[in-house]
Amino acid sequence: MAIGYYFIVSALLFSIGLIGVLLRRNAIVLFMCIELMLNSVNLTLAAAARMWGGPDGQVFVFFVIVVAAAEAVVGLALIVNLYFRRGTLDVDVPQLLRW
Amino acid sequence: MLSEYLPVLLLFGLAVAFAVGSLVVSSLVGPRVPNPTKLAAYESGNIPLADVRNTRFSVKFYMVAMLFLIFDIEVVFIYPWAVVFRELGWFGLGQMALFIGILGVAFVYEIGRGGLEWD
Amino acid sequence: MQIDFIAILPEIILTVTALLVLAADLALRGDAKQFVNPLAGLGTVAAIIATVALWGSERVTFGTMYVVDDFAVLFKLLFLGTLLAILAISWRYIAEHRFFQGEYYFLLLTSFIGMLLMPSSRDLIMLFIALETVSVPAFVMVGMRKRDLYSSESALKFFLLGVLAAALMLFGMSMVYGFAGTTDLVGIAAAISGETASVPLLLGSVMLVLVGFGFKISAVPFHFWAPDTYSGAPMPVAAMLAVASKAAGFAGLVVVAFIAFEPVADVWGPMLGVLAVLTMTVGNLIALQQRDLIRLLAYSSVAQAGYILIPFGLARTGPGAAVVNAAAIEAVVFYLIAYAVMNVGAFAVAIAVERRTGLRSIADYAGLSGRSPLLAMGMTVFLLSLGGAPLTVGLWAKFAILEAIAVDITLFGIVLAGFLVVNSVIAFFYYLKVVRTVWMDEAPAGLPQLQPGFNLSAVVVVLMVGTLVLGVLPGLVTDFSSVISIVAAG
Repeated sequence: MAIGYYFIVSALLFSIGLIGVLLRRNAIVLFMCIELMLNSVNLTLAAAARMWGGPDGQVFVFFVIVVAAAEAVVGLALIVNLYFRRGTLDVDVPQLLRW
Repeated sequence: MLSEYLPVLLLFGLAVAFAVGSLVVSSLVGPRVPNPTKLAAYESGNIPLADVRNTRFSVKFYMVAMLFLIFDIEVVFIYPWAVVFRELGWFGLGQMALFIGILGVAFVYEIGRGGLEWD
Repeated sequence: MQIDFIAILPEIILTVTALLVLAADLALRGDAKQFVNPLAGLGTVAAIIATVALWGSERVTFGTMYVVDDFAVLFKLLFLGTLLAILAISWRYIAEHRFFQGEYYFLLLTSFIGMLLMPSSRDLIMLFIALETVSVPAFVMVGMRKRDLYSSESALKFFLLGVLAAALMLFGMSMVYGFAGTTDLVGIAAAISGETASVPLLLGSVMLVLVGFGFKISAVPFHFWAPDTYSGAPMPVAAMLAVASKAAGFAGLVVVAFIAFEPVADVWGPMLGVLAVLTMTVGNLIALQQRDLIRLLAYSSVAQAGYILIPFGLARTGPGAAVVNAAAIEAVVFYLIAYAVMNVGAFAVAIAVERRTGLRSIADYAGLSGRSPLLAMGMTVFLLSLGGAPLTVGLWAKFAILEAIAVDITLFGIVLAGFLVVNSVIAFFYYLKVVRTVWMDEAPAGLPQLQPGFNLSAVVVVLMVGTLVLGVLPGLVTDFSSVISIVAAG
């Protein structure tokens, strides 16, 4: 079944994003990795919506897109603000962020 | 039905292994021959004029980009509405007017606070 | 296509209020800007009235996405009451610290709109939107002290971890949708109950969904943001995150766990039980070592989340499960109400002390009894109640959990009860340490008398009275919380 391949791709994308989050230490790259994860979610939802033939998944995709945009705006605002506070545009993650 | 998904689980493991593996292998095996040209920022073949990392950019660009992004993305809701516009009729039109009205308030606020003033 | 506007009236009122706040922020200048606070307060009171009117009704709208039943109404009242208290303690604090007042109140209201949606959601999409509407304004509010490096960093940390948790949850939701073919919670329950519950991928997806809520309630593996964020955020925002946003997380968790994932309760029940044990133990042990009052309250709120998770650990499926699950939900709701009363109170006192002196380490509370007897009394009552002392609502809250365990005693239940008791004893050490500092230690010379403003005093008095009255007559709340158990029936 061809739809299975979409799940595979999205699982790959999600794993790449997740591993990026765990390994990278740059706030912007971290954020990009999270966006990658959100897009893999979109792919899963779209593929599942195709499989089941219902509108639920497609509607879900729209909301994920919009929320991701809102998060991007808020996140970039926080990142930009932080770098102006630190007097540099160097985007290495601050000390506080060791978790 | 559910058993059809079992391979996906395996693929999860495979994906993780692949991603970790390629990172590890490239860091172990990959040759490291750094030279100034290779480390320089790529600017379409030109010789870089300044250190990109320390170049200040105007926050205004960011403001405009951000405001554009947030208003642009809202169109995603208008598009499906347009597809079923006739079926929804006046009800849909009213709801969409409400939606755009709320966005409009935000837009007025943005202008009122000087978010779009370029100076 | 019909929308039941009565059912969503509280949300509509809050939305209109939020837009009015934006307009008022544009219209008002300078000192007048602080009057957006009473405007927001008026809107909240109107929303409370609209919510009370919904009590006892059962309304379904947006298809079956949105249900207003007594469970939802009780949660909405909890959120709106908290909002009112937070507005009261914000007024002077926000005005004096020269925050962006219009934005602050707008974001606060928006976040609470998301919370109101949460207990009514009966659909994954609705739950997701509610959760994000709670979170995204909170990210900004934490970073409200723009010029403060620590605040900016804690906001970024909160944001990155929050978005990561949301992404994990979303992936879980998308997989669940892949399995069930519907985003409707009842439909999901029907779809997965037919399957053998041993499909690992399905269970993995369920766990991922629970992670998203685990982050909001700061359960232990996902609690790292809480202490830094609470101490970096403006104090009223910390109070909101510790109480309202956590209660919203629990509301969502109840809905998704007991309705959609009820057929696999045998799997997530014990897991959340283990999480509860971890959360309360780790929270309490770290809280013991804190010197900063806000960080202490942060770890204490992590520990409290552990207590509230215990009833989830009791959940099960199959015959006879309905009684157990109903009792568990009831305990969760009662504990959340008690927790809101006492924890908002503790933050209110902390705000009153910090607002005058800018001090927040526990040592600075020395001799508070001499500087302001009201605040000292308040702090004592709230902390003792958080610890679970007799004559306070905290004792009954813990008792409610034990009662839920006693409905059907299992070995696991007894273990959970044991951890609850031991942890309560540990918690008393640090709560009493603060109380002793407040009453026994000498105040350092030169500190001014504290004269909290009318709003703050009113909040402290009301919550103190509430803590004590509920401590004597818990029936005032349990009478309501005992009728909401219908949610388990889905």
